[in-house]
Amino acid sequence: MKLIDSVHALLFAADSPSDPEQLAASLECPAYEVEEALDKLGERLSQGGPVQLVRIAGGYQLCTKPEFAQIVAKYIQPQQSKLSRSLMEVLAIVAYKQPVTMAEIDAVRGVQSDYSLRQLLEKRLISDVGRKPTPGRPILYATTQQFLHLFNLDTLTELPDVDLEELEIQALIKKEEEVENTDQPTLEPLPSGESGG
Amino acid sequence: MSKQSHTAKDDQAGGLLGFVAPPDIHIECEAFTGSLAMLFHCVKERKIDLLGVPLAPICKAYFEHVLQESGDQDLEAAATAMTALAYLLERKAWQLIPKVDEEPDDDDLLEQIEPYIQELRPAIEHLRDLRDERSLRFFRQTEETGAEYELPFDMGEVGASDLALVLEKLLERAKPDTVEPPTTPRRSLSEQMIIVMNALSDEPKPIEEVVTEEFTRSEVVWWFLAMLELIRLGQARVRFAKGSILFSRGEVS
Repeated sequence: MKLIDSVHALLFAADSPSDPEQLAASLECPAYEVEEALDKLGERLSQGGPVQLVRIAGGYQLCTKPEFAQIVAKYIQPQQSKLSRSLMEVLAIVAYKQPVTMAEIDAVRGVQSDYSLRQLLEKRLISDVGRKPTPGRPILYATTQQFLHLFNLDTLTELPDVDLEELEIQALIKKEEEVENTDQPTLEPLPSGESGG
Repeated sequence: MSKQSHTAKDDQAGGLLGFVAPPDIHIECEAFTGSLAMLFHCVKERKIDLLGVPLAPICKAYFEHVLQESGDQDLEAAATAMTALAYLLERKAWQLIPKVDEEPDDDDLLEQIEPYIQELRPAIEHLRDLRDERSLRFFRQTEETGAEYELPFDMGEVGASDLALVLEKLLERAKPDTVEPPTTPRRSLSEQMIIVMNALSDEPKPIEEVVTEEFTRSEVVWWFLAMLELIRLGQARVRFAKGSILFSRGEVS
């Protein structure tokens, strides 16, 4: 039995992305041999047939080729839940700033995001990954494997480039300029002293 | 510490502080030597570091003084001096608290940021494109339900977070709870379910039209629990329609 065929069989049966090391452990052979087999399988499938091998969500998986999308969709009639604009905004912020707290997401959007966060948690596109060591210990959120799968990504490094640091600096400058432009009278600072904290 | 005679300088120090001069307690330590009145003055003028002055013996000496001379002491003067002593203690306490990092905390920083979601718009569009590309590929069991559990009843497209949102809306309208005597018996869930059933009709309605009367926060939670129980039993139905969540009576089993 050829290794390439064995790998093909495992991928065909799997319902989630497979890691080469997991495949190697299952097939009791070195991981590099499985990776070679995966390369050959990918090439073979790309040359013909309705199925292709893709890298997605940190592993390898078989899927139908895009040119067959229409007939497959007509047959299986998938229920695709659309992500609303607010869900996409929150998801994008979590994706780029992760791990991130709800307050940080609110600051970027300028509106509250608790409802969207709950929806994304329910859809398992984000998850609670711990707590930030700051006062109140707010929950930190990050994207999941499900997110990578839904957006056709292998890893987070494939996200479209955004210089978030630069955006935040610009946002700070903008806010400072707004404050300067307001004609509000400024209060004299309180005399320094320990009394009353 | 020792008691000494009251001096004109002490009176001046007390007068400068705006209170009756404290009792004649002499303080002698590495950081300061002088009367209690002078200590108050020096602390006020920031001429000495209070951290070097042990305050516990001073307090003890002061209380001994008050107890010994309680018979012929001016109560107002003693009280004023006590306030001054408390002032010293507070000043020192604040000094003893570790200084926090001067960096503003996260919340302060967040307030300083102007929302910049618009700048993220191209990235969001790109993500949408990726999603569209992905929708052309079909994997084995591609669409996950997103729920690790199966509800034993049908709620259509309505999810737990949608119901939570409805509850939040009701809570926004709720009045604060009134304090009731602890003996007041709470309405049972069955009784509450009858009330909710009477409020529901066969025609699906948004929650605002179902709950029209005024209610408190605990009443609304009780109301909602009864509604959830009715949904679970199939005696109430919840559906998405026309962009809102509608409630109605279910089929009577």
